[in-house]
Amino acid sequence: MESKSNNNNSGTPLLIIGAVFLLVLIGGWWFYTSSKSKPNPIAKNTAANTQASQSAAEIYANSPPGAQPPHILGSQTSPVIVEEFADYQCPTCSVKYPVLKQIASIYNNRIKFIFRNFPLVQMHPKAYDAAVAAEAAGLQNKFWDMQNLLFTKQAEWSASTDHRKLFTDYAQQIGLDMPKFQSDIVGLPAKQRVDSDLQRAQGLRVNSTPSVYVNGLLVPFEQMTVEGLRQIVDAELQRTGNSQNQPKTENSTETGQPKTGAENK
Amino acid sequence: MSENIFKQNGNGFFKLPILAAFIALLGLADAVYLTIHHFTGEAVPCNMVTGCETVLSSQYAEMFGIPTAAFGAAAYFLAFSLAILAAYGNRSMWNIFGALVVVMATFTAYLIYLQGFVIEAFCQFCLISAATTSLLFIIFIFSKVYNSR
Repeated sequence: MESKSNNNNSGTPLLIIGAVFLLVLIGGWWFYTSSKSKPNPIAKNTAANTQASQSAAEIYANSPPGAQPPHILGSQTSPVIVEEFADYQCPTCSVKYPVLKQIASIYNNRIKFIFRNFPLVQMHPKAYDAAVAAEAAGLQNKFWDMQNLLFTKQAEWSASTDHRKLFTDYAQQIGLDMPKFQSDIVGLPAKQRVDSDLQRAQGLRVNSTPSVYVNGLLVPFEQMTVEGLRQIVDAELQRTGNSQNQPKTENSTETGQPKTGAENK
Repeated sequence: MSENIFKQNGNGFFKLPILAAFIALLGLADAVYLTIHHFTGEAVPCNMVTGCETVLSSQYAEMFGIPTAAFGAAAYFLAFSLAILAAYGNRSMWNIFGALVVVMATFTAYLIYLQGFVIEAFCQFCLISAATTSLLFIIFIFSKVYNSR
């Protein structure tokens, strides 16, 4: 009896299944095309935060100074300061790493590019160790080399169950004095630098990474592209009257990679 | 007996496959969202609230070049189809549904392990999927326990 009624209904489940299949295809396609053109909501929030530029500039001026001297690329004295807060374990930071590297390279001594540690320890439990490893390398004048490895090999160490071993391998690759590195990654100076940067980030109420400030104003996330940053930096260079042919003397090395403030110490 | 869950005049347990189908739909929507996110993949900033980006951009977000979420979407669609067929009286489909759900639950346990102990970050959309799979598993076990009485 029951099987008879089942036979009568035999087309219905297939209809439902077919309808859901079509719905998934159409809905999926609609979502795919619409999400490709839509700016993401977090970026919108960041942009909205930037609207309150007046108070943001005040907060920027009054925040803790961060690790001193900071890691600087470019000019020590340029009036145009590009300051990045990043987390080595944040995938978006590694995606944006080449963008900021390119900006530092394009403008070279016309801007002062500062890197700050902002490990989001609640979300990225290996990020603090990575920041300390970079700072320990910085104590041997190899901060940027270590940073390069940490960002470009993020997928490797981030998914590893022994990330500290990999940091040691990276230290070897960039030719660090290993006994010194081993003692620096557990010592206070490197940690204190990370903590100082963290205090600055907290003072600035940085809540996501990467966050980039140009002369105290937070760059909206969707503008964190080479073109977007160039527009902002060019405008600041013009505003400060620093856009034309700056002397390229300060801190430039022969390879074109400027030294950091920390490394000059 | 095994017919109980399909009897419309039973104690209401004929609704179990229908309930399972609705939950599978939720899981399907979640997995489709994650799959599309994988392909549109625009970077969003990392923030203090979610580790989603860490999880979704990890090496475990893909298997054999296919997004892990796409496997989930296929599994949920299959689970939905089997539950619908079962709800309309095809009892053998409920057993196949059960076998599928056991595989899904096992794989989910592995993904939770990866998030907790290897990637060390959790993505709420992956956790939603874990919850829907667990519910499907519980419903199936419940139907078996109920029927064996």
